[in-house]
Amino acid sequence: MSSTAYIAGVGVISAIGNNVPEHLAAFEREEASMGEITMLDTIYHGKIPVAEVKLKNNELANMTGMPPDISRTTLLSLVAAQEALTDAGIPDLNKLRTGFVSANTVGGMDKSEDFFIDFIKDNSKGKLKNVYDHECGSVTEIVAEKLGLKDYMTTISTACSSSANAIFYGARLIKNDVLDVVVAGGTDALTKFTLNGFNTLMILDPEFCKPFDEHRQGLNLGEGAGYVVLVSDKVAKTLNKAPYCKLSGYNNSNDAYHQTASSPDGTGSYLAMKGALEKSGLRPSDIDYINLHGTGTPNNDSAEGTAITRVFDPKYPPVSSTKSFTGHTLGASGGVEAVFSVLAIKNGLIYPNLRFEIRMTELPFQPETKFRKGQNITHVMSNSFGFGGNCTSLIFSKI
Amino acid sequence: MLSEKYITSSCTISKGIVSKNGSNLFEGQDSDTSAFLLSIYQHFKLNYPKFYKMDNLSKLGWLTSEILLKDDFKPHLYQPEQVGVVLANANSSLDDDIKYYASVSDVPSPSLFVYTLPNIMIGEICIRNNFKGEHALFVQEKFDADFIETQVNYLLDNDLLEACICGWVDVLEHDYKAMLLLVEKEKGEQALPFSKDNMNSIFINN
Repeated sequence: MSSTAYIAGVGVISAIGNNVPEHLAAFEREEASMGEITMLDTIYHGKIPVAEVKLKNNELANMTGMPPDISRTTLLSLVAAQEALTDAGIPDLNKLRTGFVSANTVGGMDKSEDFFIDFIKDNSKGKLKNVYDHECGSVTEIVAEKLGLKDYMTTISTACSSSANAIFYGARLIKNDVLDVVVAGGTDALTKFTLNGFNTLMILDPEFCKPFDEHRQGLNLGEGAGYVVLVSDKVAKTLNKAPYCKLSGYNNSNDAYHQTASSPDGTGSYLAMKGALEKSGLRPSDIDYINLHGTGTPNNDSAEGTAITRVFDPKYPPVSSTKSFTGHTLGASGGVEAVFSVLAIKNGLIYPNLRFEIRMTELPFQPETKFRKGQNITHVMSNSFGFGGNCTSLIFSKI
Repeated sequence: MLSEKYITSSCTISKGIVSKNGSNLFEGQDSDTSAFLLSIYQHFKLNYPKFYKMDNLSKLGWLTSEILLKDDFKPHLYQPEQVGVVLANANSSLDDDIKYYASVSDVPSPSLFVYTLPNIMIGEICIRNNFKGEHALFVQEKFDADFIETQVNYLLDNDLLEACICGWVDVLEHDYKAMLLLVEKEKGEQALPFSKDNMNSIFINN
């Protein structure tokens, strides 16, 4: 048994940067990344803003040494997971029990959409190669093999809480002595499937999103990948640099209220935050910053805000939604925001919640609006809440 | 641990007839599926406003479960995690998919969209009854009692569940058929042994 799961490395790619240093620079510049759709062939060009990773598939392929015709979901995953593993710099990795727990929700859907255009016209047409990696697990397999993570792999797909669940599942594999090292997080590429689906639900903001603002209108879709490298006590002692922090608390709870919406009183999110605090042995007042789920939809921010009030009233830590920078990266968001949470502890950062203007009438608190560094950040809570009321909170703590 | 298992209640909705434990309880007059389902809701004086929001598959599954469980299920005997649901059907959520697809040419309907997955039906049954055990929905061409028996036996024999609702709920436009069984480890008054033969005979006779 390892008493603790340490975070030894991080890697991230999103619309605001292709690696960790580019993200830190974009946060400091308070620079969002939404814009017109350029990569998808869709009728919503110029109508719905999205947050695209600024590299084309062939550029991602060049970075990773993969063929350019595989799913963008896989390419994004490999970039971020590789960065995390390199960052951790674990000595004699191939002698340890290693695993890859990777989340996604779209799998190879981007390629399946290409296949379908020809297939629907003539069912003898369409490149079958384009549907070969349709399944979510295929993305995980390709990346695990490329990284040499050989002992265990699995894919978690629980909508927008997917990669937060992947991270705490990875931590449990370490704590129960199943593995020594787990690369955990998630990836999702923008696809027509998700764009049309979220548009059907009428929860996309036609402008840049304004999380936790009274006049918020919805979310902006993003894409990306984020991974942390979790290691055991034993491996932590062999590292050439100190681990960034530890995963001290986690909880997954469910609303069981509606297919897509959160319950108005935020039951699932309340139970997730409360459960994560109990697991970590911390009090609400110990939390120095909350990285909100904060999608910018009227329903999420209201339910999450209500749940935060129930847990934290009367003393609220600084809170913000980094989705105001990256858009909502769906199955990747828990991983991407776990990386931001770890970096907040390491670098003493509080991220701004861009475009916030007016406090929501039902809430007694509002998000941070300015980038701050040099803060003393010991405990960070990261929220990831998914469709179906699948709610997860993680707590990262300084060692 | 292998344990004895019993079908302690059964309910079928098929060919305009609602039947429970072998007795016909209601015969509908409507040939239209939606109208027939509404007439069942009204006949049994059910009161669950969310019913009106559901697609026909969820309505059919939910109604069958309500009648199945009424009087025969004792929720206090179980923890929420001890009751599960294992269902199968042939047409997935196609009945709602077709309606959703028709709405896309105008304004895509969010209320149709959220039912374009068949396991949403299981969600509706679980939310109604606060069931939190394992659940699964399998899409198969025909009712396969052997397969259902294997799945349910596994869940009950390994103590993953103490009670399981299982069966078949399928709807596509005018065609529909539902059969739900309550499977428990304690023998009730009218209990049949849980077996594929007993499942098949209830399925075929209704």
